[in-house]
Amino acid sequence: MSRLKYVLGEALRNMGRNSLVVLGAVLAVFVSLFLVYGTLVFGEIASSNAAQWSEDVRVEAFLDDDLRNPDRLQAEVAEWAGVAEVTYVSKPEAVLYAIEVIFADNPSAQSIIEEDPAIIPASLRISPADLQDYDGIASRLEAVPGVLKVVSAGGAVNQLISLRDGLQVFSWALAIALGVAAVALIANTIHMAVYARREEIEIMKLVGASNWYVRVPFLLEGMLEGLIGGLIAVAVGYGAYRLGFDQIQDTSQLIDLEVTPGFLWQRGVLIVLFGVAVGAIGSAISLTVHRYIRT
Amino acid sequence: MIRLENVTKLYDGGVVALKDVSLDATKGEFVFLVGPSGSGKSTLIRLMMREEQPTNGDIWIAGKHASKMPSWKVPHLRRSIGTVFQDFKLLPNKTVYENVSYALEVTGRPSHLIRNQVPQVLKLVGLSAKSDRYPRQLSGGEQQRVSVARAFVNRPLILLADEPTGNLDPATSVGIMRILDRINRTGTTVVMATHDHAIVDAMRRRVVQLERGRVVRDQSRGAYEQRAMAEVSARAEVASVEPEQSQAELELAAAEADLAELPIDEGYPNGADSLAAAEAAETSTVREEVESGVEDESDAKDGPEMEDESEKEDS
Repeated sequence: MSRLKYVLGEALRNMGRNSLVVLGAVLAVFVSLFLVYGTLVFGEIASSNAAQWSEDVRVEAFLDDDLRNPDRLQAEVAEWAGVAEVTYVSKPEAVLYAIEVIFADNPSAQSIIEEDPAIIPASLRISPADLQDYDGIASRLEAVPGVLKVVSAGGAVNQLISLRDGLQVFSWALAIALGVAAVALIANTIHMAVYARREEIEIMKLVGASNWYVRVPFLLEGMLEGLIGGLIAVAVGYGAYRLGFDQIQDTSQLIDLEVTPGFLWQRGVLIVLFGVAVGAIGSAISLTVHRYIRT
Repeated sequence: MIRLENVTKLYDGGVVALKDVSLDATKGEFVFLVGPSGSGKSTLIRLMMREEQPTNGDIWIAGKHASKMPSWKVPHLRRSIGTVFQDFKLLPNKTVYENVSYALEVTGRPSHLIRNQVPQVLKLVGLSAKSDRYPRQLSGGEQQRVSVARAFVNRPLILLADEPTGNLDPATSVGIMRILDRINRTGTTVVMATHDHAIVDAMRRRVVQLERGRVVRDQSRGAYEQRAMAEVSARAEVASVEPEQSQAELELAAAEADLAELPIDEGYPNGADSLAAAEAAETSTVREEVESGVEDESDAKDGPEMEDESEKEDS
């Protein structure tokens, strides 16, 4: 118990002594972990939305009126790789859908269709198994005789996916670079703390204090700095998410910003642990390198 | 207790610090290491405390093969070695008491043992009254006494001293030597590197002389310089005279007597047995010395260079 008090006391006293350097290290941990947290949350939002869209968005192949056996084509397409489901929409169904859904607010278009229902073609609606299968299915359908035109949201979906992936790669790269900087900064604060206490360390070693006895306060100091940085990152990240959620959710119907609180908490705990690990690594590096500790 | 076999130490750039040194010091021995600067005295001390490792040869310290020991075992070895240096190495922001108790705290000794031992050792070095002072409030001699107390509070088997009187005036030095002698009498092996002719000549203990990294003389009851022996003996008669008894001196004498009655505590894996044995064996000797010190009081005025050290320190 008194040992714990000693170790904690030493760590806190050191942090007080080098408060500016400690502040720098804590800020570096905070910024990098904030980015990691943001990336995790953003990634979760993007993939849950993409999953949503993939259910809504289909490839639609409009069929020539002359096509004799739409059922056979449907069965054939259903066998293709990457196709999850194929629905045949007959001409009358398509007319109904056009009037009641697509042009629900457009009476002039409705009257044109009612005059000549033949202009609305029958179609196959295809749901791909995976977002990535859009392009393949669409181009393969275009080559099928009897298919008038293929409409798919593949291009838009692809753009969205590549935007998400690009942003994630960028954020991860930035977070890793900042994580390395945070490790280096923590190593630096520990280095200074060791230097400030070199006489004491020398005497501890002279009288036979064990290596761990000498090292633990410094390790703890680094971990404490990482912990504080991580806690601030999660707190600020959570606050920013709540704020952003309220601001954007109302104006945007396209994107659903909702993330489960469980996810936020779980990743938050991970981030804090990661901060502690960053601190431990930083101080461990410093302690292995430092000559006052080593001998 | 200490054994060096054909020890050679080379530093970077081919500098030969020690060349084929063999040395044996038994339990309770007092060994002076003498020789000019750069002759290898300090290197020898650093090798004995395992701060450095020999390039060649073997070193045994307190029954352990120090030169082959993995570094994680070194802290344990250090607990059987007390060290005293020319520059005291005290922590400026700790009091006398804290500086001494620090050595016990960082080796994880229970606090009741610390509360028991520190006052006893402070009494031994005559600093009981100044236990709340900070090092900067003490004279050089007093600071060195704190450093000796810290080295001894662990009850080490071996005490290594590198020029412990190098920063002190002759009279103050005598005070330090008296404490080291007292520690030696408890059965602690003392190895002391020094330049101080007067001290070596006065003590007439074993002298190991180094010259460019080699042992050139190893003499029991030697003097600083070999040829000066006859003359030294004459001088030593004078030097061994006890000075006037001041308050501090009386305290020292009392502590000396107490030392023989120190309780044997648990928690001294290395030193307890040896100390107990030494106490039993040395009790009579210590008492005799205390008594003879009192007897010699009348002769004190004859030794002008032996004025009371504590008076000088305070001025």
